[in-house]
Amino acid sequence: MLAMNNFFLAVFIILGSGVLPLFFLWRRFALMKTIASLGISAGCLIGLIDAIGPLSNGVDLTASAPYLRAFALTFRMDGLSSFFLIAIFFIALLAALYSLHYMADSRKTVRVAVHYLFFSLLVASMALVVTAANMITFMLCWELMSLSSFFLVVYNYENEGNRKAGYLYFIFSQVGAMFILAAFGIIYSHAASFGFDGIAALPETAKILVFALAFIGFGSKAGVFPFHVWLPHAHPAAPSHISAIMSGVMIKCGIYGIVRIYALLGWHAPMFGYIVLVAGMVSGILGVVYALGQHDIKRLLAYHSVENIGIILIGIGLGMIGVSAGNPVMALLGFGGGLLHVLNHSIFKSLLFMGAGMVLHKTGTRTIDVLGGLIKKMRITGATFMIGSLAICGLPPFNGFVSEFLIYIGGFRGTALSQTEFALSLLAIVSLAVIGGLALACFTKVVGIVFQGEPRSAAAEAVDEKELSMIAPMVTLAGACLVIGVFPGVFAGMALRAAESLQLGYGRVPLAPFMQLTGNITRGVLLAFTVFVLILVLRAFLYRGKSVTASGTWGCGFSQPTVRMQYTGSSYAGSIIAFFGPLAPLEENHPPIAGRFPAKTHYQSHVHDIAERHMQRVIVSPVMAAFDKLRWLQHGDIHLYIGYILLAIVVLLFFV
Amino acid sequence: MTSVLLFFLAILLAPFYSAIILKVKAFFGGKKGPPLLINYYTLVKLLKKGSVYSTSTTAIFKLGPMVSLCAALTVLMFLPIAGQPPIFTFQGDIIFLLYLLGVGRFFTIAAAMDTASPFEGMGAAREAYFPIICEATLFMVLILFYVVTGELSLAAYFSAGQPAGFWQAAGAPLLFVVLALFIVLLTENSRVPVDDPATHLELTMIHEVMVLDHSGPDLAFIELGSFLKLFFYATMVTRLVCPVTLGHPAADLVVFLATMGVVYVAVGVIESVMARYRMDKVPQFVLTSFALAFFATVISLEFLK
Repeated sequence: MLAMNNFFLAVFIILGSGVLPLFFLWRRFALMKTIASLGISAGCLIGLIDAIGPLSNGVDLTASAPYLRAFALTFRMDGLSSFFLIAIFFIALLAALYSLHYMADSRKTVRVAVHYLFFSLLVASMALVVTAANMITFMLCWELMSLSSFFLVVYNYENEGNRKAGYLYFIFSQVGAMFILAAFGIIYSHAASFGFDGIAALPETAKILVFALAFIGFGSKAGVFPFHVWLPHAHPAAPSHISAIMSGVMIKCGIYGIVRIYALLGWHAPMFGYIVLVAGMVSGILGVVYALGQHDIKRLLAYHSVENIGIILIGIGLGMIGVSAGNPVMALLGFGGGLLHVLNHSIFKSLLFMGAGMVLHKTGTRTIDVLGGLIKKMRITGATFMIGSLAICGLPPFNGFVSEFLIYIGGFRGTALSQTEFALSLLAIVSLAVIGGLALACFTKVVGIVFQGEPRSAAAEAVDEKELSMIAPMVTLAGACLVIGVFPGVFAGMALRAAESLQLGYGRVPLAPFMQLTGNITRGVLLAFTVFVLILVLRAFLYRGKSVTASGTWGCGFSQPTVRMQYTGSSYAGSIIAFFGPLAPLEENHPPIAGRFPAKTHYQSHVHDIAERHMQRVIVSPVMAAFDKLRWLQHGDIHLYIGYILLAIVVLLFFV
Repeated sequence: MTSVLLFFLAILLAPFYSAIILKVKAFFGGKKGPPLLINYYTLVKLLKKGSVYSTSTTAIFKLGPMVSLCAALTVLMFLPIAGQPPIFTFQGDIIFLLYLLGVGRFFTIAAAMDTASPFEGMGAAREAYFPIICEATLFMVLILFYVVTGELSLAAYFSAGQPAGFWQAAGAPLLFVVLALFIVLLTENSRVPVDDPATHLELTMIHEVMVLDHSGPDLAFIELGSFLKLFFYATMVTRLVCPVTLGHPAADLVVFLATMGVVYVAVGVIESVMARYRMDKVPQFVLTSFALAFFATVISLEFLK
């Protein structure tokens, strides 16, 4: 265990800080929170510094320990692992700090203590998942990650909706794990070892099956359409810093799994690229369309995770197509852009969830249409949320643009190929453009309705922001968005180094041509900044000595405006949702206004998720019906249960 | 040097060209119309004034005009005017510029939402909606241009004799592209039949209603920004319609400026003979541009190889 000392030190510090509150500290609420959150942060910091090593020098680290004498727990840290570790530790570091003030309810001391246990378990297990180097280790860490995040989702278990969300998440993560296990089972049946090394020797038909199963399993964790159903339920239920971790990094472990299994299979069939790319386009467009229709700010952000997972898969899919078509530049642009988007999305999505958490913390509501005008009293939250919004829309000078830019260029490279590759690259480019436009519509809605205008309710009026530990992470993340957006060279280089360890057969990748691309972004952004500063100076000059007066907003002749007349988020998104009607059926409940003296009326709308609808009809109902018929198996008689176990062992004896 | 001069010439001429549209509309209406220099008078008048700010607004409201003008000015620096090379160019600049215009749109919408006005919210929702389809069209056109030239920059598409190369490579389907770009021009710049800049009912506006609360130099920035944006799209259409190069910069410039006039007159004529579409019909109209660009790209890249 010599080689990965610092990594394990980080993991132990994180776990230790999580266990400590349970023993004696939970009686001292403030002390417990401080120790746990600072301890986890310190562990993450060590891990973060350590993870940069393999990326910069390209040396893989390995560690192994026997477990139960049956198999070895093996960990390996290569470029790809390090890249994901950087995202995991960076976000977990800030989320731990954020929790210090966010977990404010001192009546729930034990629960907060337990939350820190699962929080540390989640962070540690994610770090172990991306370094696991054999199938058993991987599955163990994977299950630990799924279970610890399940307990965090049901943190507020008094609420029935949250319990349902947790249950849904539990089923999805376990069914997903079953698919991964099935894929590993096929590998084991051919390779007869738990190691990752034998996978490349599988016959091609087995490889296709392994990839398909693993894609479904990992896709359900990542939130790929149509396996994303749990995501918009679980993210709003969890506390906001947990949502930030889950949406920012945990679902990326699914992406890690897809990329890793692709690299391990070592077979660059065009079919893999097609599957991933098409899944990416569908997730991307539908994710953002459903996001537009949401009324709950955290649910909306959760759907945006589906969208961004789509963008990442578009990048990775283009990369796979590039590999199979023998186009290294396209391959590296696709993989590099997709991986960079993993890092970028983890940064701006946790920023947005933390901003939403601040709003929830102060106003007590997540409903977009009752908020408004928050930016006047929550300047830093508003400003950082706006930066996050610009970044998630892929707009320069922020980080989202950089990764989308690389994916675009990769896509354009693909249009020079023939037939299927041409058609898919063309669709990928157009999907990216449409996703960008829809995301802009969605986030102008969130910023415009929640943070701008006038408060729509009393809850939105009495707000402030004083909690330093919540503000500091948001400012750090917003700064990271800007730094990556203006100087993307180093970070794109990191993503390319991570892509190197996919064993695509390109050896050490020359970074110079890619640095030229990112350098262009820097130049373009700096030029725009210069123009902006000049305009700023010009404006200051023009307003010198001018009369500037304040007055009410022009009500177009109406003299008694009220805040309730403001445009709502539902109406803002209405016409776009209508355009996507068949894919996003809108259910409205609105008794018509009738009579000469009409009574009060109301309006309700809900956008249905077709995946949720059809999954209920096609899978859930038949399965429930089938299990209902088997109910007699479960009779509560313990003797018969022991009989079942006996029977199972006897049957196994015959087959094994 | 020539590029810098042309850049400033473009800023100087953009308001004049926009006035041509007003003149054409006045002609169709049997009126004398405002003078051709009307936009300069308006800009000077606005720059001299102070401003009134709504009590609902924040700093974002003041950022809106500056960011949209900044985006339009930066875009113009990458635009080859009259076939001359632009001031700046790099591989992929067109993607950067389209997204920079997106930043301008984000802040224009944010500034509108800042006022808490229901009318501006309505305009903002439309401004967020229609350009989505335009972006899809533009990227479809880019794919065609990329495959023909192997480059991703405005300079490679619209400098010197290159637009003629598109006609040679794509042939008649390029007519579709011209038409698609013209529809994008109408949509992005809020012209009839998508938006009516001259209407007097706030409910039916898109762009005009979003800037209702701006005044003084802020409004001047917005106006100038929109003149420049129209100039940018008109230049692309012009270079495709009239790709000829005579070999002499001055002669090229004259031909270019004359053709630009024709494009603006065409906008004016459309505005005079057509009514604005009902709001729910507009997406169908804008989608036409996508269909045209799609057919042009697919036909010329897959079937005419």
